[in-house]
Amino acid sequence: MRFFNFHLMPYPALPKDYDGPAWVTCPNELFDPDVGHQVYNRYLDELIYSEELGFDGVCVNEHHQNAYGLMPSPNLMAAILARQTSRVKIAVVGNALPLYDPPTRVAEEFAMIDNISGGRLIAGFVVGGGPEYYSFSINPAHAREKFQEAHDIIIKAWTEPGPQEYIGKHYRLRFLNTWPRPVQKPHPEVWIPGVGSLETMEFVAKHRYAYMGIPYFHISVFDRQFRLFREACEKEGYTYDPKQAGWLVPTYVAETDEQAREQYEEHFWYFVKRLLPGISIQPPGYTTLRSMENIAKGAGTFAMSLNTWDEVEEGVYAVVGSPQTVYEKLEANISKLGTGNLLGLFQLGTLPADLTKRSMELFAQEVMPRLRERFPEGKPILEPSEAVAS
Amino acid sequence: MTVEAQTIAAHVGSIQVRRGGSGDPLVYLHSAAGEGEGLALLDELAKRHDVIAPMFPGFGESEGIEQIDDMEDAVFHLLDLFDRLELDAPAVVGLSLGGWLAAELATRYPERVSKLILVNPAGLYIKGAEIKDIFGRGPGEMAEDMFADQSHPMAAQMHQVEKMLASGGGNRGAIPFELIKPQLQTMAATARLGWDPYLHNPKLRKRLHRISSPTLIVRATEDTLIPAAHSEAYASEIAGAKLVEVAKAAHLVSIERPAELAAVINDFLSG
Repeated sequence: MRFFNFHLMPYPALPKDYDGPAWVTCPNELFDPDVGHQVYNRYLDELIYSEELGFDGVCVNEHHQNAYGLMPSPNLMAAILARQTSRVKIAVVGNALPLYDPPTRVAEEFAMIDNISGGRLIAGFVVGGGPEYYSFSINPAHAREKFQEAHDIIIKAWTEPGPQEYIGKHYRLRFLNTWPRPVQKPHPEVWIPGVGSLETMEFVAKHRYAYMGIPYFHISVFDRQFRLFREACEKEGYTYDPKQAGWLVPTYVAETDEQAREQYEEHFWYFVKRLLPGISIQPPGYTTLRSMENIAKGAGTFAMSLNTWDEVEEGVYAVVGSPQTVYEKLEANISKLGTGNLLGLFQLGTLPADLTKRSMELFAQEVMPRLRERFPEGKPILEPSEAVAS
Repeated sequence: MTVEAQTIAAHVGSIQVRRGGSGDPLVYLHSAAGEGEGLALLDELAKRHDVIAPMFPGFGESEGIEQIDDMEDAVFHLLDLFDRLELDAPAVVGLSLGGWLAAELATRYPERVSKLILVNPAGLYIKGAEIKDIFGRGPGEMAEDMFADQSHPMAAQMHQVEKMLASGGGNRGAIPFELIKPQLQTMAATARLGWDPYLHNPKLRKRLHRISSPTLIVRATEDTLIPAAHSEAYASEIAGAKLVEVAKAAHLVSIERPAELAAVINDFLSG
C-alpha cells in the first residue's frame, strides 16, 4: 500500500456574495495576488512536509482558468518539489495532453523533473477536464484522438532512439529527438485518472498503467469503476495489480469524531458548493455516447448535489473522524475497492494551514502505519482474490 | 404531399434522406437542431418542388460523423451525396449551420447550386455582433434564442429540461439519459464543424464573391442567436442577393413559421 498527499491548491478566498461557477467564466478580478502569494507557498510547504511524515509521494494536477485549483502548470510545482524533497515520488496527475502542442513539451518537462528528482516522477496523462476545452477553445471532438497521438509521441520519445519521425493526423514531427531523456527505464510509471470513461479504462488496462478514480462521487460509483477496470485488465489477459489502482478521497483526522466534523465541515462545503460548480460541464463530443452513458450512471451522485453531512458520510465522499474511525473507514473501503494507492486530499477548500498540518500528522502517525500493516506491499488487497489465493 | 424517409449509401456510410414532391429539386440542409422528422416546412415545400432533405452525419440515423473533421470534409460529403442522388445543380436552402454549409458549397462549386437560400445563416464572424454560445448554455436560455414564442412545444420542452437540471443541482445525471441523448449527439456533430473557429470560417467572407447563383437571404426578425449583421453581410457580399425577413420567428424559423418561410422560398424560386 502506498500513500500520497494530493493537493488541488484551491483558491480559498472567493467573496461571499459570489455564487457563480468556479470554472471557465469565474471572473479573474476575484483573484487576489496577495492571497496567491501566501497560499502557493503554504500549499508547497504542506506537500514538502509529507516527506518528513513518511508519505510515499505527493500529487499535483493541472487545471486552467478556475478557482478550484491554482495549478495551470503542475510541472512548475513538481520542479520545485523535485528540489525540495529527496525521497517521495512526485506524481503529476497529470498533464492534459491535448493542451500541449506539440506534446513533445510534456516529454521534455517530465524528463526534466525525472532528472532533477533522480527518478522520482510519476507521469500522469489526462485528456483534460471538460472546462479546459472551453477555456482553451480546443475542439472536444478531437480530444481522444489528440490524447492518443500525444501519448504515443511521449512514449516513443522516451523509449526509442532519436532523431525519429512521427506523422499523425493531429501532430506531425519530422525531428522527434527529446533531450533530456528520463532517468527511469523504460519510462516513469504512468498514471491515468478517470471518471468512468470505458475507453480510458481499456486504454489503461492495455498499457498496464495505473487507473486513478476521481473523487466526488458516491462510493458505489468507485466500486463499479474499479470492477470495470479489473474486468478490462482480465480482458487483456492478466489480473490487475493493486498498484494499478488508486482511490482519491478527501481525508481529515482530528482527536475525536466530533472535533473532526466540527473543524472540517464548513471547509468541505466551501469546496463542494463554491469550487465544484462548473466542473462537470461536458463539451459536446468530448466522450463517446457509450462512455457518456456509463458516466451518467454515476453522475446523479456527484458531490454537488450533496446537502447534508449524513449524505457525505453515507457515500464516503470524505473520510473524516478520529484516527480509529478514519482507519476503519479506509480499511473497509480499500479492501472493497482493491486500490493499492491511497491519494488523500488532506487540504480541501478553505481548510486552514494549522488544521491541515495537524490532520496530516495524526494520519501519518496513527492511521498510515496500521494500514501499511493491514495491506502489505505486493499482497492482493481484494477480499475475494485473497480467498482465491488461499 | 408528404416527404418520406429513405436511406442511401454514401461514401461516409448510410445517410438518412427525406424526399417527396415533384418539380425542380430543392435540397434542404438542417441546422444544428437536426430538424427533419415531422418538419412541416418540408411538406409545404414538397407541394411545388422535389424536396430532398438529407440528415448530416451524426444527426438522426445518418452515419459517418467520425470521418468528418471540418467544413471542408462536410462539403465533400455533400458533393458525394449530390452525385449519388443525381443532383446536378439543385436549389439549396439551409438553416443556420445548414446555411453555412450551403454557402461553403456555393463558394467552392458554384456550378452545383442553381439557386441559394440562406436562412439565419452561420458561417461568418462579425466583431461586435458575435453569434451567441450554443455549446455551454442551458436549454432554458437557448430556448429564448430559438423561439419567438416560448409556448411553442419544443421551447416548452427545453424549459422543462432546464427545470430538471436545476432540481438536480445543475447535474446532468439528474436527467434520464435517453432524453438528452439526441441532443448530445447533434451537438457533438456540430462541434466537429464549429467549435473552433466558433461557427464560422475566417476565409468564407472573402470567398462569397464566388457565388454565382441567384441568392436569397432570409432573416427571422426575432433571431437573437445570430445578429442581423450576419444576414446583412451575406447580402452585401453576394452579388445581387436579396434579403427578406420573416416576422414572429426566432432562430429556428423552419420549425416555428413553416408556412411563412415556405411562402418566401416559393416566391423566390418561382421568380
